[in-house]
Amino acid sequence: MEDIIVVEDLRKIYNKDILAVDGISFSVHRGEVFGFLGPNGAGKSTTIKILTTLLEKTSGRATIDGLDIDKDQAAVRRIIGYSSQEVGVDDDLTARENLLLQCSFHHIPKEKAIQRVEQLLETVKLQEAADRRLKTFSGGMRKRLDLASSLVSDPKVLILDEPTTGLDPQSRQDIWEYIAELNRQGMTIFLTTQYMEEADRLSDRLCIVDQGKIVAEGTPLELKARIGADIITLSVRSDDPEACETASTVIAKMEGVKEVGLCSVGISGDKGLTVMAHNGSAIIPQLVRLLDGIGVQIDQLTLSGPTLDEVFLKLTGRALNVVERKGAVKGRGWGKRGKRP
Amino acid sequence: MMMEWVSETAAIFRRWNTKLVRQPIFIFFSLIQPLVWFLLFTQAFSAIGDIPNFKQLTGTASYVTFFTAAVVIQTITSSALAAGLGLVNDLESGFMDKMRVAPINKSAILFGKLFSDAITIVVQVVIILLIGVAIGVEIASGLFGVFMILILSAAFGMAWSGISLFVGLTTKSDQTTLSVGLLTTFPLLFLSAAVMPLGLLPAWVQEVAKVNPFTYVAQAFQSLIIEGFVWDKIGNALIAISIIAAISLTASILVFRRKIR
Ligand SMILES: Nc1ncnc2c1ncn2[C@@H]1O[C@H](COP(=O)(O)OP(=O)(O)OP(=O)(O)O)[C@@H](O)[C@H]1O
Ligand SMILES: [Mg+2]
Repeated sequence: MEDIIVVEDLRKIYNKDILAVDGISFSVHRGEVFGFLGPNGAGKSTTIKILTTLLEKTSGRATIDGLDIDKDQAAVRRIIGYSSQEVGVDDDLTARENLLLQCSFHHIPKEKAIQRVEQLLETVKLQEAADRRLKTFSGGMRKRLDLASSLVSDPKVLILDEPTTGLDPQSRQDIWEYIAELNRQGMTIFLTTQYMEEADRLSDRLCIVDQGKIVAEGTPLELKARIGADIITLSVRSDDPEACETASTVIAKMEGVKEVGLCSVGISGDKGLTVMAHNGSAIIPQLVRLLDGIGVQIDQLTLSGPTLDEVFLKLTGRALNVVERKGAVKGRGWGKRGKRP
Repeated sequence: MMMEWVSETAAIFRRWNTKLVRQPIFIFFSLIQPLVWFLLFTQAFSAIGDIPNFKQLTGTASYVTFFTAAVVIQTITSSALAAGLGLVNDLESGFMDKMRVAPINKSAILFGKLFSDAITIVVQVVIILLIGVAIGVEIASGLFGVFMILILSAAFGMAWSGISLFVGLTTKSDQTTLSVGLLTTFPLLFLSAAVMPLGLLPAWVQEVAKVNPFTYVAQAFQSLIIEGFVWDKIGNALIAISIIAAISLTASILVFRRKIR
């Protein structure tokens, strides 16, 4: 398959000592959705800002549709659409005015612009709110408008920085549908996310990034297959505070079990265990009998295939913590952030 | 290319105007201080007009009439020095990024804003002049003189906005942008011929005032209000404005190029 974005050994050092992107290489095929999955501070936005020509790289090489991001800056800008993490829309204007303004930035003639805007408003279901000022918009509506505004020029490559961070499940679902639809129509999409579910659902292929490095690359299936195991999550009910630990030692000795870890389960944060096993469904009966035998009662038990969360945990030794950040949708500071701890 | 620049600048110009109309309060914010001056200062210091020589030096015995030029200048500078705030806000909100990834000329981002600032300033100066007329100021040069005052105001306003744009883009901080505005305006105003005629200033202040661009802008306004069209004063004002504009606009374009890829 033909590559539309090619990135080679890209590196970005801020202020001489903050290594934000540490020599990454990847390529995006024409027509696919490519995901960049990583926690806060992984270097996702930095990579995106370099690709969109907003930020100067320290070293490396990158091309979009054969155009060099440095030498052919102007041409690159004509073929990409970009939605920033901060949501670059003007709050004093209405949704329609915002889109018309974007059209004039792209030199779309008036009549055509009016049509295009109408069509985009329909796509992101903002027709009714079209003439309201954004001050009255919810985070989800702003994100949808921002997505629409990155589409006015009908870009070849759409670049989205955390398109659903901070949104409620319904708005997230809506955005997922638009993205999938745009991709069906042939648009190449590069997106970043902190949500493994989003990366899993949308991307044809993805990179897992952490601390400026790519730690894994492949299709969601391939990555999950690396775990090569099912996951059984269970919580226990017991008066014995040591119950989980005891259970974990016992389970670890069972045949077919790869790994056992302590965890907290559900919103209540009950003590529980994560068991990775080659054939999850086969060992459940035995597992239940075993715990029964040592007097540990099972409260909840779920069996699932591996998720990208486990992949991340396995690769980096840390959980892919999604910290919902306040104000993630509404105006984030520009260049005002501290160093990575 | 030129056509594109014009349409981009026009789009950005319209955007700022729309924002302003939606937030009319901002037109009045920067008018508060000049108004307080205009109404209180001139009442409290009306006796300045009785100083021997005042009439001889200025052509009027009314301090309010003389002081109108200072109020107009203060209106222009306090409005112009808030110009950078809009860009700082755009940098923070991500809107600047959105404009930058669009295939537009970077200078259109600056000039669209500057032209809109000029319009704002013209509106504000009109309000100030109307209030002046209401409290008894007579404008000797008539309606054409008022046009001249507005043209000079717009030009001076854009030149002075350049400073604010420069500070805003360099520091990316609205606090700093505002304080630089406040810190420069007052000394420049008092060390010029705007508040007192040159002849009544202490010798050292006169020396400073002679190299202070505010003096020349003030003298042009004063002559238009008190005497009529005095072309060499208008010419001097235009030279002073051009020098400020050349420096401030070059500086802001350079910092824009360097900081904003
Ligand atoms: N303008 C800047 N100046 C200095 N350091 C920066 C700047 N922008 C980002 N960084 C640092 O670079 C690193 C990567 O940041 P980046 O914004 O690319 O991460 P991210 O993956 O987008 O994170 P998030 O999910 O929080 O958006 C972080 O350590 C961050 O603090
Ligand atoms: Mg980011």
